[in-house]
Amino acid sequence: MARAWEVNGLSPDAGFRTAAGRIILTRWREMMSSRDGTLTGGDIEDLHAMRVSSRRLRAAMDAFADVFPASSFRRYLREVKGITDTLGDARDLDVAIEHLTDLIPDLELLDRPGIEGLIDRYEEQRRAEDARIRALFARLDDEGYAEKFEAWVTKHTGITVSRLRPAPPEAN
Amino acid sequence: MAKPRPVTGIDPSRRMRPNARRILATRIDEVYQYDGLVADPANITQLHDMRIAFKRLRYLLEIFGTAFSGDLDPFLEQVKIMQDLLGDIHDCDVQVPMLEAHLSWLEGQEAVSVERMLSNARRGRQPADETIALERFRSRLDAARRADERPGIHTLIAMRRAQRIVLYNQFTTEWRRLKHERFRQRLETTLGLH
Repeated sequence: MARAWEVNGLSPDAGFRTAAGRIILTRWREMMSSRDGTLTGGDIEDLHAMRVSSRRLRAAMDAFADVFPASSFRRYLREVKGITDTLGDARDLDVAIEHLTDLIPDLELLDRPGIEGLIDRYEEQRRAEDARIRALFARLDDEGYAEKFEAWVTKHTGITVSRLRPAPPEAN
Repeated sequence: MAKPRPVTGIDPSRRMRPNARRILATRIDEVYQYDGLVADPANITQLHDMRIAFKRLRYLLEIFGTAFSGDLDPFLEQVKIMQDLLGDIHDCDVQVPMLEAHLSWLEGQEAVSVERMLSNARRGRQPADETIALERFRSRLDAARRADERPGIHTLIAMRRAQRIVLYNQFTTEWRRLKHERFRQRLETTLGLH
Protein backbone atom coordinates (compact mmCIF):
# COMPACT_ATOMS: atom_id res chain seq x y z
CA MET A 1 0.00 0.00 0.00
CA ALA A 2 1.20 3.54 -0.78
CA ARG A 3 2.67 5.27 2.24
CA ALA A 4 0.71 8.18 3.67
CA TRP A 5 2.33 11.58 3.15
CA GLU A 6 3.77 13.27 6.23
CA VAL A 7 1.66 16.20 7.43
CA ASN A 8 4.00 19.20 7.55
CA GLY A 9 4.00 21.39 10.65
CA LEU A 10 1.59 19.27 12.70
CA SER A 11 2.53 19.58 16.39
CA PRO A 12 1.13 17.61 19.36
CA ASP A 13 -0.41 20.83 20.70
CA ALA A 14 -1.97 21.88 17.41
CA GLY A 15 -5.36 23.53 17.42
CA PHE A 16 -8.21 21.38 16.12
CA ARG A 17 -9.00 23.77 13.27
CA THR A 18 -5.46 24.18 11.96
CA ALA A 19 -4.80 20.43 12.31
CA ALA A 20 -7.91 19.88 10.17
CA GLY A 21 -6.54 22.13 7.42
CA ARG A 22 -3.08 20.57 7.46
CA ILE A 23 -4.30 16.98 7.46
CA ILE A 24 -7.15 17.36 4.95
CA LEU A 25 -5.12 19.36 2.42
CA THR A 26 -2.22 16.88 2.69
CA ARG A 27 -4.53 13.92 2.10
CA TRP A 28 -6.23 15.77 -0.74
CA ARG A 29 -2.94 16.43 -2.56
CA GLU A 30 -1.81 12.86 -1.79
CA MET A 31 -4.95 11.54 -3.49
CA MET A 32 -4.67 13.85 -6.49
CA SER A 33 -1.02 12.91 -7.07
CA SER A 34 -2.23 9.52 -8.38
CA ARG A 35 -4.87 11.02 -10.67
CA ASP A 36 -2.86 11.01 -13.91
CA GLY A 37 -1.59 7.46 -13.38
CA THR A 38 -5.13 6.30 -12.65
CA LEU A 39 -6.44 7.85 -15.86
CA THR A 40 -3.57 6.46 -17.95
CA GLY A 41 -4.22 3.00 -16.51
CA GLY A 42 -0.72 1.64 -17.16
CA ASP A 43 -0.23 0.38 -13.60
CA ILE A 44 -3.13 -0.85 -11.44
CA GLU A 45 -1.21 0.31 -8.35
CA ASP A 46 -1.86 3.97 -9.26
CA LEU A 47 -5.60 3.44 -9.00
CA HIS A 48 -5.10 1.50 -5.77
CA ALA A 49 -2.97 4.30 -4.28
CA MET A 50 -5.59 6.88 -5.26
CA ARG A 51 -8.36 4.85 -3.69
CA VAL A 52 -6.44 4.33 -0.44
CA SER A 53 -5.67 8.06 -0.27
CA SER A 54 -9.32 8.91 -0.91
CA ARG A 55 -10.28 6.73 2.05
CA ARG A 56 -7.71 8.45 4.23
CA LEU A 57 -9.12 11.79 3.08
CA ARG A 58 -12.67 10.74 3.90
CA ALA A 59 -11.60 9.55 7.35
CA ALA A 60 -9.87 12.90 7.97
CA MET A 61 -12.94 14.82 6.80
CA ASP A 62 -15.18 12.77 9.09
CA ALA A 63 -12.83 13.36 12.03
CA PHE A 64 -12.85 17.12 11.53
CA ALA A 65 -16.46 17.53 10.36
CA ASP A 66 -17.24 20.02 13.16
CA VAL A 67 -14.79 22.52 11.71
CA PHE A 68 -16.96 23.04 8.63
CA PRO A 69 -20.54 24.22 8.05
CA ALA A 70 -22.75 21.13 7.82
CA SER A 71 -24.31 21.84 4.41
CA SER A 72 -21.09 22.49 2.46
CA PHE A 73 -19.34 19.68 4.34
CA ARG A 74 -21.93 17.17 3.17
CA ARG A 75 -21.55 18.36 -0.43
CA TYR A 76 -17.75 18.06 -0.48
CA LEU A 77 -17.76 14.77 1.39
CA ARG A 78 -20.26 13.34 -1.09
CA GLU A 79 -17.91 14.03 -4.01
CA VAL A 80 -14.96 12.45 -2.22
CA LYS A 81 -17.13 9.44 -1.42
CA GLY A 82 -18.08 9.29 -5.11
CA ILE A 83 -14.38 9.12 -6.02
CA THR A 84 -13.75 6.31 -3.51
CA ASP A 85 -16.76 4.33 -4.70
CA THR A 86 -16.01 4.72 -8.41
CA LEU A 87 -12.39 3.68 -7.92
CA GLY A 88 -13.51 0.89 -5.59
CA ASP A 89 -15.50 -0.93 -8.26
CA ALA A 90 -12.52 -0.87 -10.63
CA ARG A 91 -10.12 -1.92 -7.86
CA ASP A 92 -12.29 -4.89 -6.88
CA LEU A 93 -12.15 -6.11 -10.49
CA ASP A 94 -8.36 -5.53 -10.71
CA VAL A 95 -7.87 -7.62 -7.57
CA ALA A 96 -10.21 -10.36 -8.76
CA ILE A 97 -8.53 -10.58 -12.19
CA GLU A 98 -5.04 -10.68 -10.66
CA HIS A 99 -6.06 -13.27 -8.08
CA LEU A 100 -7.78 -15.56 -10.59
CA THR A 101 -4.88 -15.26 -13.05
CA ASP A 102 -2.44 -16.30 -10.29
CA LEU A 103 -4.72 -19.20 -9.39
CA ILE A 104 -4.86 -20.81 -12.84
CA PRO A 105 -1.47 -22.63 -12.81
CA ASP A 106 -2.46 -24.40 -9.55
CA LEU A 107 -5.82 -25.59 -10.86
CA GLU A 108 -6.74 -28.93 -12.43
CA LEU A 109 -7.10 -28.74 -16.22
CA LEU A 110 -10.81 -29.43 -15.81
CA ASP A 111 -11.25 -26.27 -13.73
CA ARG A 112 -9.35 -23.85 -15.94
CA PRO A 113 -11.91 -22.98 -18.65
CA GLY A 114 -14.37 -21.73 -16.04
CA ILE A 115 -11.84 -19.45 -14.41
CA GLU A 116 -10.60 -18.20 -17.79
CA GLY A 117 -14.20 -17.43 -18.77
CA LEU A 118 -14.70 -15.56 -15.52
CA ILE A 119 -11.52 -13.52 -16.10
CA ASP A 120 -12.78 -12.60 -19.60
CA ARG A 121 -16.04 -11.41 -18.11
CA TYR A 122 -14.33 -9.36 -15.38
CA GLU A 123 -11.97 -7.80 -17.95
CA GLU A 124 -14.96 -6.70 -20.00
CA GLN A 125 -16.55 -5.15 -16.89
CA ARG A 126 -13.24 -3.50 -16.01
CA ARG A 127 -13.10 -1.75 -19.40
CA ALA A 128 -16.53 -0.29 -18.68
CA GLU A 129 -15.21 1.03 -15.32
CA ASP A 130 -12.46 2.96 -17.14
CA ALA A 131 -15.13 4.93 -18.96
CA ARG A 132 -16.89 5.72 -15.65
CA ILE A 133 -13.64 6.92 -14.08
CA ARG A 134 -12.83 9.18 -17.04
CA ALA A 135 -16.36 10.61 -16.97
CA LEU A 136 -16.14 11.34 -13.24
CA PHE A 137 -12.85 13.23 -13.51
CA ALA A 138 -14.00 15.12 -16.61
CA ARG A 139 -17.03 16.34 -14.66
CA LEU A 140 -14.94 17.32 -11.63
CA ASP A 141 -12.57 19.23 -13.95
CA ASP A 142 -15.48 21.03 -15.63
CA GLU A 143 -16.80 22.07 -12.22
CA GLY A 144 -13.38 23.25 -11.01
CA TYR A 145 -13.81 20.93 -8.04
CA ALA A 146 -10.10 20.80 -7.07
CA GLU A 147 -9.76 24.59 -6.78
CA LYS A 148 -13.07 24.89 -4.94
CA PHE A 149 -12.16 22.12 -2.49
CA GLU A 150 -8.83 23.70 -1.55
CA ALA A 151 -10.40 27.18 -1.23
CA TRP A 152 -13.15 25.74 1.00
CA VAL A 153 -10.65 24.08 3.36
CA THR A 154 -8.54 27.25 3.49
CA LYS A 155 -11.59 29.40 4.25
CA HIS A 156 -12.53 27.37 7.32
CA THR A 157 -9.08 26.44 8.67
CA GLY A 158 -6.76 29.26 7.59
CA ILE A 159 -4.30 26.77 6.07
CA THR A 160 -3.20 27.25 2.46
CA VAL A 161 -1.57 24.68 0.18
CA SER A 162 1.17 27.15 -0.74
CA ARG A 163 2.23 27.52 2.92
CA LEU A 164 1.70 23.87 3.81
CA ARG A 165 3.61 22.51 0.79
CA PRO A 166 2.43 18.88 1.00
CA ALA A 167 4.82 16.46 -0.71
CA PRO A 168 5.33 12.71 -1.11
CA PRO A 169 7.59 10.96 1.48
CA GLU A 170 10.71 10.77 -0.68
CA ALA A 171 10.62 14.53 -1.38
CA ASN A 172 10.49 15.44 2.33
CA MET B 1 -22.98 -0.24 6.31
CA ALA B 2 -23.54 1.11 9.83
CA LYS B 3 -23.24 4.88 10.07
CA PRO B 4 -20.72 6.25 12.56
CA ARG B 5 -22.28 7.31 15.84
CA PRO B 6 -22.34 11.12 16.23
CA VAL B 7 -19.74 12.54 18.60
CA THR B 8 -21.00 15.29 20.88
CA GLY B 9 -19.06 18.06 22.63
CA ILE B 10 -16.49 18.74 19.90
CA ASP B 11 -15.13 22.29 20.15
CA PRO B 12 -13.15 23.31 17.03
CA SER B 13 -11.60 26.27 18.89
CA ARG B 14 -9.84 23.93 21.34
CA ARG B 15 -6.69 21.92 20.78
CA MET B 16 -6.68 18.67 18.85
CA ARG B 17 -6.06 16.34 21.84
CA PRO B 18 -9.26 16.83 23.90
CA ASN B 19 -11.42 16.61 20.78
CA ALA B 20 -9.50 13.56 19.56
CA ARG B 21 -10.15 11.84 22.91
CA ARG B 22 -13.90 12.30 22.54
CA ILE B 23 -13.92 11.01 18.97
CA LEU B 24 -11.67 8.01 19.70
CA ALA B 25 -13.66 7.03 22.80
CA THR B 26 -16.81 6.83 20.69
CA ARG B 27 -15.12 4.84 17.90
CA ILE B 28 -13.55 2.35 20.37
CA ASP B 29 -16.99 1.84 21.86
CA GLU B 30 -18.38 1.22 18.38
CA VAL B 31 -15.94 -1.63 17.78
CA TYR B 32 -16.87 -3.31 21.06
CA GLN B 33 -20.63 -3.06 20.45
CA TYR B 34 -20.21 -6.00 18.05
CA ASP B 35 -18.73 -8.23 20.74
CA GLY B 36 -21.15 -11.13 21.13
CA LEU B 37 -22.85 -10.48 17.80
CA VAL B 38 -19.79 -11.73 15.90
CA ALA B 39 -19.76 -14.95 17.91
CA ASP B 40 -22.10 -16.34 15.27
CA PRO B 41 -20.33 -16.90 11.92
CA ALA B 42 -23.66 -16.47 10.12
CA ASN B 43 -23.90 -12.81 11.20
CA ILE B 44 -22.41 -11.54 7.94
CA THR B 45 -23.68 -7.96 8.31
CA GLN B 46 -22.36 -7.57 11.85
CA LEU B 47 -18.96 -8.95 10.85
CA HIS B 48 -18.85 -6.46 7.99
CA ASP B 49 -19.91 -3.59 10.26
CA MET B 50 -17.26 -4.53 12.79
CA ARG B 51 -14.66 -4.37 10.01
CA ILE B 52 -15.84 -0.85 9.16
CA ALA B 53 -15.68 0.10 12.86
CA PHE B 54 -12.08 -1.21 13.05
CA LYS B 55 -11.24 0.68 9.85
CA ARG B 56 -12.60 3.96 11.24
CA LEU B 57 -10.65 3.43 14.45
CA ARG B 58 -7.46 2.68 12.53
CA TYR B 59 -7.65 5.82 10.40
CA LEU B 60 -8.42 7.95 13.47
CA LEU B 61 -5.45 6.55 15.38
CA GLU B 62 -3.31 7.47 12.36
CA ILE B 63 -4.84 10.96 12.09
CA PHE B 64 -4.63 11.83 15.77
CA GLY B 65 -1.44 9.92 16.57
CA THR B 66 0.69 13.06 16.84
CA ALA B 67 -1.56 14.47 19.57
CA PHE B 68 -0.58 11.70 22.03
CA SER B 69 2.77 11.03 23.65
CA GLY B 70 2.15 7.29 24.06
CA ASP B 71 3.24 4.83 21.37
CA LEU B 72 0.14 3.94 19.34
CA ASP B 73 1.95 1.76 16.77
CA PRO B 74 1.35 -1.59 18.57
CA PHE B 75 -2.37 -0.75 18.80
CA LEU B 76 -2.46 0.27 15.16
CA GLU B 77 -0.85 -3.00 14.12
CA GLN B 78 -3.41 -5.00 16.08
CA VAL B 79 -6.31 -3.01 14.68
CA LYS B 80 -4.96 -3.56 11.17
CA ILE B 81 -4.73 -7.35 11.77
CA MET B 82 -8.38 -7.41 12.81
CA GLN B 83 -9.44 -5.20 9.89
CA ASP B 84 -7.57 -7.43 7.41
CA LEU B 85 -9.02 -10.65 8.83
CA LEU B 86 -12.55 -9.26 8.74
CA GLY B 87 -11.84 -7.90 5.25
CA ASP B 88 -10.82 -11.35 4.00
CA ILE B 89 -13.96 -12.86 5.55
CA HIS B 90 -16.02 -10.17 3.82
CA ASP B 91 -14.35 -10.94 0.47
CA CYS B 92 -15.48 -14.58 0.81
CA ASP B 93 -18.99 -13.48 1.82
CA VAL B 94 -19.20 -11.27 -1.27
CA GLN B 95 -17.51 -13.61 -3.73
CA VAL B 96 -19.59 -16.74 -3.11
CA PRO B 97 -22.90 -15.09 -4.15
CA MET B 98 -21.08 -13.42 -7.08
CA LEU B 99 -19.81 -16.79 -8.28
CA GLU B 100 -23.27 -18.30 -7.87
CA ALA B 101 -24.64 -15.41 -9.92
CA HIS B 102 -21.99 -16.15 -12.54
CA LEU B 103 -23.25 -19.75 -12.75
CA SER B 104 -26.78 -18.42 -13.34
CA TRP B 105 -25.39 -16.06 -15.99
CA LEU B 106 -23.71 -19.02 -17.71
CA GLU B 107 -27.05 -20.83 -17.71
CA GLY B 108 -28.71 -17.82 -19.32
CA GLN B 109 -26.01 -17.60 -21.97
CA GLU B 110 -26.37 -21.31 -22.54
CA ALA B 111 -30.14 -21.14 -23.06
CA VAL B 112 -29.71 -18.41 -25.69
CA SER B 113 -26.93 -20.31 -27.48
CA VAL B 114 -28.81 -23.62 -27.50
CA GLU B 115 -31.96 -21.93 -28.81
CA ARG B 116 -29.93 -20.29 -31.59
CA MET B 117 -28.23 -23.59 -32.43
CA LEU B 118 -31.55 -25.47 -32.63
CA SER B 119 -33.03 -22.77 -34.78
CA ASN B 120 -30.05 -22.93 -37.17
CA ALA B 121 -30.25 -26.73 -37.21
CA ARG B 122 -33.93 -26.63 -38.16
CA ARG B 123 -33.20 -24.25 -41.04
CA GLY B 124 -29.99 -25.92 -42.33
CA ARG B 125 -29.50 -29.13 -44.28
CA GLN B 126 -28.61 -32.19 -42.22
CA PRO B 127 -26.04 -34.82 -43.34
CA ALA B 128 -27.66 -37.93 -44.69
CA ASP B 129 -25.57 -40.13 -42.41
CA GLU B 130 -27.34 -40.20 -39.05
CA THR B 131 -24.14 -40.88 -37.08
CA ILE B 132 -22.41 -37.86 -38.61
CA ALA B 133 -25.51 -35.73 -38.05
CA LEU B 134 -25.70 -36.80 -34.40
CA GLU B 135 -21.99 -36.21 -33.83
CA ARG B 136 -22.20 -32.75 -35.36
CA PHE B 137 -25.25 -31.97 -33.23
CA ARG B 138 -23.45 -33.12 -30.06
CA SER B 139 -20.38 -31.07 -30.86
CA ARG B 140 -22.44 -27.93 -31.49
CA LEU B 141 -24.49 -28.54 -28.35
CA ASP B 142 -21.33 -28.87 -26.22
CA ALA B 143 -19.98 -25.62 -27.64
CA ALA B 144 -23.28 -23.84 -26.97
CA ARG B 145 -23.67 -25.19 -23.44
CA ARG B 146 -20.38 -23.79 -22.06
CA ALA B 147 -20.56 -26.84 -19.79
CA ASP B 148 -16.79 -26.91 -19.45
CA GLU B 149 -16.87 -23.59 -17.60
CA ARG B 150 -18.87 -24.84 -14.66
CA PRO B 151 -16.48 -27.14 -12.79
CA GLY B 152 -13.95 -24.34 -12.25
CA ILE B 153 -16.61 -22.07 -10.77
CA HIS B 154 -17.87 -24.83 -8.47
CA THR B 155 -14.29 -25.47 -7.37
CA LEU B 156 -13.79 -21.77 -6.66
CA ILE B 157 -16.99 -21.62 -4.60
CA ALA B 158 -15.84 -24.62 -2.56
CA MET B 159 -12.41 -23.02 -2.04
CA ARG B 160 -13.93 -19.74 -0.83
CA ARG B 161 -16.29 -21.54 1.57
CA ALA B 162 -13.41 -23.53 3.06
CA GLN B 163 -11.27 -20.41 3.30
CA ARG B 164 -14.09 -18.57 5.08
CA ILE B 165 -14.21 -21.21 7.83
CA VAL B 166 -10.45 -20.95 8.41
CA LEU B 167 -10.53 -17.13 8.43
CA TYR B 168 -13.45 -16.98 10.83
CA ASN B 169 -11.65 -19.30 13.25
CA GLN B 170 -8.55 -17.09 13.05
CA PHE B 171 -10.71 -14.04 13.71
CA THR B 172 -12.39 -15.48 16.81
CA THR B 173 -9.01 -16.60 18.17
CA GLU B 174 -7.58 -13.09 17.69
CA TRP B 175 -10.66 -11.40 19.13
CA ARG B 176 -10.57 -13.60 22.25
CA ARG B 177 -6.86 -12.88 22.63
CA LEU B 178 -7.45 -9.12 22.42
CA LYS B 179 -10.07 -9.29 25.13
CA HIS B 180 -7.89 -11.54 27.29
CA GLU B 181 -4.98 -9.11 26.94
CA ARG B 182 -7.24 -6.18 27.88
CA PHE B 183 -6.60 -4.42 24.57
CA ARG B 184 -9.36 -1.88 25.10
CA GLN B 185 -8.27 -0.88 28.59
CA ARG B 186 -4.64 -0.51 27.51
CA LEU B 187 -5.56 1.60 24.49
CA GLU B 188 -7.87 3.82 26.52
CA THR B 189 -5.17 4.32 29.16
CA THR B 190 -2.61 5.26 26.49
CA LEU B 191 -5.05 7.82 25.08
CA GLY B 192 -5.70 9.24 28.56
CA LEU B 193 -9.37 8.28 28.54
CA HIS B 194 -9.31 7.03 32.16
